[in-house]
Amino acid sequence: MRTALVVLSIAVGVFSIGVISGAYAIISNDMSASYAANAPSNIELRMADFDESVLETVRNTNGIAEAEARRVFSIRVRAPGTNRWTALDLVAFDDFEANRVNLLIPVEGQGAPGKRQVVLERDALTRVDVEVGGLLEFELPDGSIKSMPMVGVVQDTAMGAGDFLAAPYAYITTSTLQYLHEPQDFNRIYATVSDGGDDILHIRDLGAGLKDRLEKGGAYVVRSRFSETHTHPLADTTNAILGILMALGILIVFLSSSLIANTLAALLQQHTRHIGIIKLVGGRGRQVLAMYLALIMAFGALALLVAVPLGGQGAYGLAAFIAGELNFTLLGYRIVPTALLIQVLVGLLVPLIAGLVPVINGSRVTVLKAISGEAARDEGGRPKVEGRVSRFDRFQTRVTVALARRGIHIPRPLVISLRNTFRRRGRLILTLFTLTMGGAIFIAVFNVRVTLHDYIGAISRYFVSDVSLDFEAPYRLSEMEQAVMKVEGVTRVEGWQFVSGELLDETGMVLENLNVFAPPAKSELIEPILVAGRWIEPGDVRKFAVSEAIFKYYPDLQPGDRLKIRVLGKDETWEVIGIFKFVDREGLLAYAPYEYVSRLTNYANRAFMFRLVTVQHDRAYQDAKAEELDAVLRERGFKLLSAEAGSASLDTAVESLDTLVVFLLIMAVLTATVGSMGLTGTMGMNVLERTREIGITRAIGATDRIIMLTVMVEGMLIGAISWGLGAVLSVPFTMLLARIVSLAVFETPIDIVYTLNGYVLWLGLVLALSALASVIPARNAARLTIREVLAYE
Amino acid sequence: MTNRTGKPAPVTDASPIIQIREVVKTFKNAAGEFTVLKRVNLDIYPGQFVSIVGKSGSGKSTLLNMITGIDHPTSGQVVIGGTDIYKMTESRRSLWRGRNLGIIFQFFQLMPMLTLLENVMLPMDYVNHGGFDERPERAMDLLKLVGLEQFAHKLPLAVSTGQQQSAAIARALATDAPLLVADEPTGNLDSRSAEHIFDLFEQLAAQGKTIVMVTHDPSLTLRTSRNVIISDGELIDETVARALSLLTHPQMMAVTRRAERVSFPPLRTIIRQGEHVDTFYMIIHGEVDVVLQGRKKEDAVVARLTAGDFFGEIELMRGGRSIANVRAGPDGPVELLSLPRDEFLRVVRESPLTEETLGRIVQHRLKENQSADRRRKLRLFG
Repeated sequence: MRTALVVLSIAVGVFSIGVISGAYAIISNDMSASYAANAPSNIELRMADFDESVLETVRNTNGIAEAEARRVFSIRVRAPGTNRWTALDLVAFDDFEANRVNLLIPVEGQGAPGKRQVVLERDALTRVDVEVGGLLEFELPDGSIKSMPMVGVVQDTAMGAGDFLAAPYAYITTSTLQYLHEPQDFNRIYATVSDGGDDILHIRDLGAGLKDRLEKGGAYVVRSRFSETHTHPLADTTNAILGILMALGILIVFLSSSLIANTLAALLQQHTRHIGIIKLVGGRGRQVLAMYLALIMAFGALALLVAVPLGGQGAYGLAAFIAGELNFTLLGYRIVPTALLIQVLVGLLVPLIAGLVPVINGSRVTVLKAISGEAARDEGGRPKVEGRVSRFDRFQTRVTVALARRGIHIPRPLVISLRNTFRRRGRLILTLFTLTMGGAIFIAVFNVRVTLHDYIGAISRYFVSDVSLDFEAPYRLSEMEQAVMKVEGVTRVEGWQFVSGELLDETGMVLENLNVFAPPAKSELIEPILVAGRWIEPGDVRKFAVSEAIFKYYPDLQPGDRLKIRVLGKDETWEVIGIFKFVDREGLLAYAPYEYVSRLTNYANRAFMFRLVTVQHDRAYQDAKAEELDAVLRERGFKLLSAEAGSASLDTAVESLDTLVVFLLIMAVLTATVGSMGLTGTMGMNVLERTREIGITRAIGATDRIIMLTVMVEGMLIGAISWGLGAVLSVPFTMLLARIVSLAVFETPIDIVYTLNGYVLWLGLVLALSALASVIPARNAARLTIREVLAYE
Repeated sequence: MTNRTGKPAPVTDASPIIQIREVVKTFKNAAGEFTVLKRVNLDIYPGQFVSIVGKSGSGKSTLLNMITGIDHPTSGQVVIGGTDIYKMTESRRSLWRGRNLGIIFQFFQLMPMLTLLENVMLPMDYVNHGGFDERPERAMDLLKLVGLEQFAHKLPLAVSTGQQQSAAIARALATDAPLLVADEPTGNLDSRSAEHIFDLFEQLAAQGKTIVMVTHDPSLTLRTSRNVIISDGELIDETVARALSLLTHPQMMAVTRRAERVSFPPLRTIIRQGEHVDTFYMIIHGEVDVVLQGRKKEDAVVARLTAGDFFGEIELMRGGRSIANVRAGPDGPVELLSLPRDEFLRVVRESPLTEETLGRIVQHRLKENQSADRRRKLRLFG
């Protein structure tokens, strides 16, 4: 039993570190490798419609290896018979056979659609209820509906990677465009560079040159995006998360080592008499030491035998799960040599280190002490003659005596549980350490989850409107107001402008895409979280508020500083008036007043985007209104691109964050498991050591129920103490974890929110785990017959 | 002509508080089966202070475990206070034990984490004895009884072993159980502490508690009202043990096996004066009179023997004819154990101590007979 516990303790640590280090190695390698294997574009240019000649120009540019042109447009899709529309980005390929950039990996059915056929990216399957061979209905801008069969599922590891909020993709051939009333032109270029695919500066340089060349040729580049071949856009985030997992893995090893130390100490104590006999017949301390070190190594080897194969499977499983979530393919099952080495080291060294102190102490025991049983039975064995009562024991008795004097009598079986809890203080500390760590992480994960959601909630203040309408053409504010206010439930409408640009460095090189939203300066549909400066005002000219992500390029930026930007093809210098928190999407986000931007774009009193407020603000109502507005406006001939619930895109973001939280929770549960294993071991050892006492209680009238209760209350008390400590420790843990996660996901530290949920849930869980951890030892205790107990005499 | 304890076991008309019937206990291990108790029968009556003695490994602790319900008999029955204790589950038996039995262990077995007072209260909590708020007072009274009131709030580790055992006795008394069972209660104590503990037992016995105590201290068996000897898993007949107390336990067991029970109605002659004697008698129960007969056939009772006494040894050891009449007492029948001449002589030869003691007793009895005879003659002529 005890051997099994030692082996299990080691195995848990080895398994955890194996899973995490293996997954870490697999993901860091496969993520970039599989990303790179599909020839991701280094340069993506979103342009106004263009023809084959522009593509030829790109292909003939020096330094460009491959280039492909596609037409990407938004469309709404639904399964026939349902009324749930989903927005998709439809990508039209000229020739699927000649696909050289952003390769598609066939998953199911056909890898390439024929005319009037569609292939879905596998991510889209979660939104559209369709099977290969099934029909899909597409809604055209004029409101007409066209049907096409879905003939296959593919995986596109490059497009949309790194964008939590991107719509899923579907693929058609250019020959289908006409059927969908779309022009035959392209609007995107995806290109790879021939050299320096992992040199972002080179790629930017090449991209900027290409852009200039195209614009000089009359083409209009709306925005550009540059990425390295071997760097998955989510690599930083993933590495940060893996870093957390690794830290937790190391912690679990640490926790399991305390479990090992505990169990080995108890084992050695049980063996004290044997050690005495060995010494009596001539064995030396060194021989005893060697014998037990060999035993520990054997335990380690046994644990490795169990944990290494499981750890390998677990590592691949975790990697596959993460790969699935981040949409990349693993290169196949394999044993990671580094992970294996780490496992072997952990499996052999950690028990050796953890067991060294108990083993050395055990090997030093004197023959007299060992044979007399003094060392082995300082609890529950033969009573010692008058000895020293520890201060803590005196303190405990004084407390109960003081309570008794005030007429408060604690039932003695409960007193036994209470005092037993503190009898083996070294063991208690180690057990509390594991359980407390598990609890603190568990609670922290819940706090982090709420913190992330709170931040998303705060971000939702950027999306106060209930329905967002995007149009292909600009409409006058008064005209739109007239039209939408007729729809029941709509109470207010605002026209917003949008202009995309690029952030430049001092030399005029493009640093990052820039998306400038322009709500009316006094808009109540946006409540920014300002970290510095002020918000936009109607009179602001060439002034804007930028998101915190700007610090990546200008770490010392302050309100009042000026930034070089390229907007509508012109290089300008704008003043930063404020810095706010937000999640950036496809570039840097900024806000400038509608009053100025509408003049800049020559669309005064007009807008492409409208934000509406309705009487109710729940998602269902927003969806219903969006659908109604969609129908009403199309009927009136407005060229509506999309009508969406205000919180639609946020919900997607929340789902992504929940995935992250699930990872953390798995780790928290794992630490909690190690903790409760530690408790089971401790309770098992305690019961084993107190066999005699249990027999005595039985001799003087204790029933099975009382014996079990006495043991379980002790276990639950340890659980409760660990909860208290864990609750305190969860505060710094939450801070640390929230900081790492928020920096990885949002690139900014966020305000921490604490939730009672984690505390309450962990209290319930730790008490349940403690009860469960004590139940087997308790049952064993109750089953002991007194004769067995007294047979120790 | 008295037995060694000087205190005959009180035999009452009350029914026994402990009845052990045909109890067999066999242990099994890798080496095979080993029978520790062999069809043991024993009755213990309320108020008796019984010591169980035997050599190490004789089965005395196993026998005690049968009484406390700590172990299961392989076969047989143990009825305590009218309850067949092995018909209960272990858990129910534990509760029953808490209410009906106080156990005192050689190693005291106080709970080390509880104060002496708490230790005494513990069984009350377990069996729900008395009101919850009354328990501290009762426990304190019991500690006073054993002289430990000033140590009530000390942990066992902080008091002497003698005090620990006193506290263990207080604990055994906690639920006011009628029966106290003690396993070598003084075995781990110095002589002063042992004396104190035994005084406590005597007080309790005087108060009417039934006490069953395992001990290997012969001096203690002298102070108990009844002495049960166990040898190799069998009980030695208590009459044999009292009559021939200097035999070794195996010798006593041999006598137990060979001796036969015989019964005589009141005044029936058992040995006739002047006739050959070929039997050694030990009195189990009742009385016998040693009577000298004059020439005119008048009877003179020169001695009255009771349970535990023996007769017939003078003739068997010296040879010759009986020097007196021995008959059953007038108040009731007498029950005897009879041992044939050859068997008696063999046992005596095997035990020089017994032979020597019996020799002295024979001399003593002869002198007594002679002086009684002289007194009788003087009366006749005076």
